[in-house]
Amino acid sequence: MAVNAGITDVGARHRAKALADLMVLDTPDEQAFDDLVFIAAKACDVPIALITLLDVDRQWFKAKYGLDVQETDIEHSVCRIEIDRGDMLEITDLTADRRTNCNPLVTGAQHFRAYAGAPLVLRSGAVVGRLCVIDTEPRPEGLSELERAMLRALARLASENLELRRTARVSNRLTELQAALVEIGEAIRGSGDAGQMASATAAIVGRVLTADRAGLGSVDDAIETIDIKTDWTAPGILSIAGRHRLDEYVSLREPLVYGDPLVVADALTDERAFSNLSIAMRIGVRALVDMPVREHGRTIALFFVHSAQPRPWLAEEVAFLRSATDRLEAGVARHRSDEQQRIVNGEIAHRLKNMLTMVQAIASQTLRSASDRESVYAFERRLMALSAAHDALLQNSWAQADLKSIATTVVEAIGFTDRVKMDGPPVALGARAALSFSLIVHELLTNACKYGSLTGDVGDVALTWEIRTDDGDDRLMIKWRERGGPPVTPPTRRGFGSKLISIGLAGTGGVDLRYDPGGFAADLQAPMRHLAKG
Amino acid sequence: MMRPVVLVVEDEPLVRLFASDMIEEAGFEVLQAADATDAIVTLEDRLDVRVVFTDVDMPGGIDGIMLAICIRERWPAIQIIITSGRPWPEGTDLPEDMVFFSKPYRQDRVLETVRRMAA
Repeated sequence: MAVNAGITDVGARHRAKALADLMVLDTPDEQAFDDLVFIAAKACDVPIALITLLDVDRQWFKAKYGLDVQETDIEHSVCRIEIDRGDMLEITDLTADRRTNCNPLVTGAQHFRAYAGAPLVLRSGAVVGRLCVIDTEPRPEGLSELERAMLRALARLASENLELRRTARVSNRLTELQAALVEIGEAIRGSGDAGQMASATAAIVGRVLTADRAGLGSVDDAIETIDIKTDWTAPGILSIAGRHRLDEYVSLREPLVYGDPLVVADALTDERAFSNLSIAMRIGVRALVDMPVREHGRTIALFFVHSAQPRPWLAEEVAFLRSATDRLEAGVARHRSDEQQRIVNGEIAHRLKNMLTMVQAIASQTLRSASDRESVYAFERRLMALSAAHDALLQNSWAQADLKSIATTVVEAIGFTDRVKMDGPPVALGARAALSFSLIVHELLTNACKYGSLTGDVGDVALTWEIRTDDGDDRLMIKWRERGGPPVTPPTRRGFGSKLISIGLAGTGGVDLRYDPGGFAADLQAPMRHLAKG
Repeated sequence: MMRPVVLVVEDEPLVRLFASDMIEEAGFEVLQAADATDAIVTLEDRLDVRVVFTDVDMPGGIDGIMLAICIRERWPAIQIIITSGRPWPEGTDLPEDMVFFSKPYRQDRVLETVRRMAA
């Protein structure tokens, strides 16, 4: 048809995409554009000036002077004539031009008679519409050279403004998305389990993208089904938690298999999106992004965002979703590995303690006929001391144990909690020092029960410790002080217990034992750098 | 005089032998079971069991804690001691009247509890 001269499908598609990207259609009036049409009308001395954007099925006015219409059908658009040429269009008498003489804007009450429009060309080269001036009287002489030049200049300003406006909006959006990513990171750190991480992430993503539904679903090995534990939904939107077949949910498995996101702006016009549109409509999805979660080169889950209305997805939004999904995946993986580590540690501890019980059983059976039952019990209690150190180490994933909690457990195992007073700052001991310390405390305590201040009913023990800094070197100093016991005499022979004590905290001595008449005293010391290591 | 009867439930034979000897030497009659099912069969047969001394981790699907709960239901008069290489599970309370010992345990403390329960 003649009226279509200069319009091609390729041009229209290019234009639709560029317009969607500008995010300007159906936005409120803005002063900058209103000023431009006002200046255009005055510069060319006409009653009407418009900034027209050419959508697929309509022309929409971003700014209008002298006309009280927001949009018209695309068929009634004069601006679209020869639009793909990207040049100025001038029609001095619309009633005389066969492309416009039947147009209701010309034949009707609007009484359009003369037209001149300069193209709105973006930096990408896309032509998205025109800045036009319209007279209600014919202008046989057309625009003057100056008027034409001014119209072109104003159109360039309008185009520039459209792009600046977009940049400003994208930059605001980026700031919002960045803030949301930080929020997601905090939410993931604050979550106790994988389900909580996914729910918190979905809620933030849903809110910041003003989506209708968001969530994480795990995908089976064959990438055929998706299992959604919980999803976030906007008020009034139905949840799709449960197990679904992927081929009914999304027809294009390919991108998911290869790890690319599936981005659909409008399910009705994107044949990739749904093999079965009725399902999409039932769950209310017009636009969506599916972001695959990968592990070892395989898609193991999908993070999805649904919108009940068609919408363009900014590249920045898709990148944001990628980052959010990555953070979620990293959080879930870290949680999983911590959990596994905890289970493994628990299992090791359990086996170790069963092994200690076996050793106890063997020793007990082997020494059954031994006349000295006391030796068997002494052995048993040393085993308990070791076991207590293991308990304290397990609390901290086997890395280190608190000095006080080891001492407390050992004292508790022997049973003199009320007569051993402890005082000192928190000190973390490595595994080796923890085991040595538990045995030393045990021997000191045993001796105190047999010969020292705990033999009678009145004596007690003070166990204190501190860290002294000496030439930049931290040393742990432990003091064991007994008082209120029977008179002290140095032992005549050195048993295994004394030898254990003299090995010291770090295995290299640093032990001072004094048999003062008033009470036995022991000083133990070692550099912290030797004690903190495993 | 009849010796009070104690049932020792433990899947590890060496530890079972050790626990049995320990309790027997303290003057009790000891019955042994290698798992929870075995223990229930014994309890159905012997109505004079006063104390059950059971491990937690055992094969066969029913662990020592389940066994203890089952005994509490069916034979409320029987006293129960539970022992394990694992700490008592966090967030769960030890059922009333039961005593828990972490492995390895001190013989004198276990025996003291058995004596008190059998009295």
